[in-house]
Amino acid sequence: MDDLEPRLTACFAAVLPELKPAEIAGATAASVAGWDSVATVTLLAVIEEEFGISLAEENPACFESYASILAYLKGSGG
Amino acid sequence: MANMKLLEALKLAKLANNREGEAFICFLATGLNPLHLTTFLAAELSLLFAERKIEIQQGLYGDLLGNITRLAKADAEVGVVLLEWSDFDARLGIRSSAVCGPAVCNDIIETVNARASEIGFRLKDAAAQMPIVVSFPTLPVLPLSFSPGWQASSFEVELDSIMQAVRKDISQAGQVRILSSRRLDLLSPLKERWDIEADLLSGFPYTISHASGVAALLAQLVRRPEPKKGLITDLDDTLWRGIVGEVGIEGISWHLDHHSQMHAFYQRLLGALSAEGVLLGIASKNEPAVVEAALRRKDLALPASAFFPIEVSWGPKSEAVSRILKNWNVGADSVVFIDDSPLELAEVKASHPEVECIQFATKDGAAIYEVAMRLRDLFGRSAVLNEDTIRAQSIRRSHALADEFETAKSTSEDFLQQVQAEIGLNFDKSPLDPRALELVNKTNQFNLNGKRFTEAAWQNYFRDDSSFLLVASYTDKFGPLGKIAVIAGQHHGKTLDIDAWVMSCRAFSRRIEYHCLEELFTKFDIDEIRLDFAMTERNGPLREFLQNVLGKPPELGCTISKQLFESRSGIVREPHGVGTNG
Repeated sequence: MDDLEPRLTACFAAVLPELKPAEIAGATAASVAGWDSVATVTLLAVIEEEFGISLAEENPACFESYASILAYLKGSGG
Repeated sequence: MANMKLLEALKLAKLANNREGEAFICFLATGLNPLHLTTFLAAELSLLFAERKIEIQQGLYGDLLGNITRLAKADAEVGVVLLEWSDFDARLGIRSSAVCGPAVCNDIIETVNARASEIGFRLKDAAAQMPIVVSFPTLPVLPLSFSPGWQASSFEVELDSIMQAVRKDISQAGQVRILSSRRLDLLSPLKERWDIEADLLSGFPYTISHASGVAALLAQLVRRPEPKKGLITDLDDTLWRGIVGEVGIEGISWHLDHHSQMHAFYQRLLGALSAEGVLLGIASKNEPAVVEAALRRKDLALPASAFFPIEVSWGPKSEAVSRILKNWNVGADSVVFIDDSPLELAEVKASHPEVECIQFATKDGAAIYEVAMRLRDLFGRSAVLNEDTIRAQSIRRSHALADEFETAKSTSEDFLQQVQAEIGLNFDKSPLDPRALELVNKTNQFNLNGKRFTEAAWQNYFRDDSSFLLVASYTDKFGPLGKIAVIAGQHHGKTLDIDAWVMSCRAFSRRIEYHCLEELFTKFDIDEIRLDFAMTERNGPLREFLQNVLGKPPELGCTISKQLFESRSGIVREPHGVGTNG
C-alpha cells in the first residue's frame, strides 16, 4: 500500500515524540533513548490498531527498528 | 469520547502536554500496570480541560494500598482509583500460579473481604483530601469455582456481594464518585474487555477499546459537566401522542392501550427532572385555550404546574423559546429543546445555536429511550440540593413579585419591606457548603471575575486561616429562594480581599449585594475591600452594581472603601431583616 510508510511514521511520531521527522526512518530500539519496553508495547499496540493486524504471535526481533517493522508490514500485506 | 484510537490518544496527550496553562494534576492509583489507560485518561481529560496541561501521577506497580495512601498525600486536584480483582487477592489474577480448589476459594473470599475493608478505609481517608473517582473490577472473574459458567457460583455471588458492600460504604463518603458499571456495560461488552496476552506480557489487562471506554467514563466523573438547567418541550406528538387541535382533548394519549406508552414514560421523566429542580417550559403551536384544557387532564404523569412558562401561539417557536429564556433568565447554552419536528428543531437552532435541540422520535420506543438516557446525562447531578427543588417555584415567585412591585408603584425599599424580605448570612466554612461551590461555578451574570474552582482548589482555598466564606440566603412572603449568593475572600488586617463573589440571577433587585458588603465591613471591622474584579462577557449586572457603588465603571482590582460605601450606598435603611451566623 502506498500510504504504509506515512502511517507507520505517524505511529512512531506519536509513541516516540522526541524523534525528529528525519530520524524516524533510521530509528532502532538500540539507538533511541526513549524506546524502552513500555514504548515497544505501546508502539506495537498502535501499529496493530492502525493496520488492523495482530502481532502477538510474531517474533519480537521483527520489531526492533523502523526498517524491520516496515519490512514486516510490507511482507504481511499491511 | 469512547472508542478513541490509541494513536489519537497519544497525539491528544502530547498536545495537552505542550499547553502553557496551569497543569491539571490527577493521581491514578492502581495495582495494575496502567499503561495505555494513562494515555487515554490524559487524552480524555485534555478534551474536558481544554486550556490546561494534563499531568497523570502514578504510584508503584502492584502496590494498590500504598498507592491510595500516596494519592491522599499527593498535590493533585483529583484522585482516580482503578480496582481489579487481583488488587483484592492476587490469586484472582491470571498471572498467579497459586493452587485452586474449593477450600482456596473460601480463603480467597476471606482475603477479599479483609482487603475490601482496608481499601474502603483508605479511600475514605483519601476522599477527605480531594475528590476521588473509583472504578470497581470490570473484568470477568476467573473460573476458579466448581460451578459451570452458566450458573452464578456462590463464589462469584460472594465476591459481588463484597464489592457491593464496599461500594455502598464509600459512596456515602463525601467526594467519592463511582463509575457506573451499567454504563460501562453499554460502552464495552464484557467479552471484549480482557486482553489476556497483554496482561501476561505487561500486566496491563485491558483491550485498547476497553481502556478507552473506562478512561472516557473516568474523565466524565472527574470533570462532572455542568448540568443543563431547563428543558423546553413541544406538546403534540411529543408530550403526548396526537395533534390536540385535530383529535381533541380526549383524542390525545399516552397509554399502553393506545400504543403511546412511551409518551407516558417521557412525562414521567420530565416529572422526575422537575422534582430535581430542572425548569420545564412548553413551546407549542396551538390554540392556548385547547392546550390549557388538555393540560387539565387528570391522567397526565406529571402535574401541569411543573411547566412554567407555557408558550402557546402560532408564531415561530424560536420566539417562544426566546420568551422562555427571558422568563427563566438563563443562558441558551443551559437549555434543551425537544420537538418531534426536524423543521421546528432547525428553526429554533438557527435562532438559538447554543440550545441543545433533540428530536423526539414519536413512534420509535428505542429512540425515545435513547433520548431519555441523553437527557439523564445532560441534566445529571451528583446530588439534589434544597435550592434545586425550589428553583422553579422561586422563578414563579419572582414574576409574582415583579407584578406586585409594578402594581404597588412604591420604592424598592418600601416594597422589600412589604414583602417581609429576610436575608441570612452564614460565615461557617466547616464543613464547606456544597451549594457554595456550585453557585461559584455556574453563575455568570453577577460574577466578580468568572473564575471557576475545582473541588480540590476550593477546599485548599479555605484551609488558609485568613480565608472566609459568606453564603447568603433569602426568603420573603412569596417563599424561600434558598442560598443565592457566595463571597469568598481573605482577611488581612484592615483589608478584605475578595476573590469570588457570585449571586444567582433569581436574587437580583433585592439589594442583597449591598447587605453583604455592609456585613463584611461590620463583621471584620475593615477599612476597605479589594475586589479581584475582571470583566467577562456576561457579568454586566455585577459591573452595574459596582458602578453604582464606585460612581464609575469598575477597573481591574478595584477597591471599595468603607467611607465610599457608606456615602454612596444609601441602602442601610433596613428593607430586610438580616440574620448572621458563624
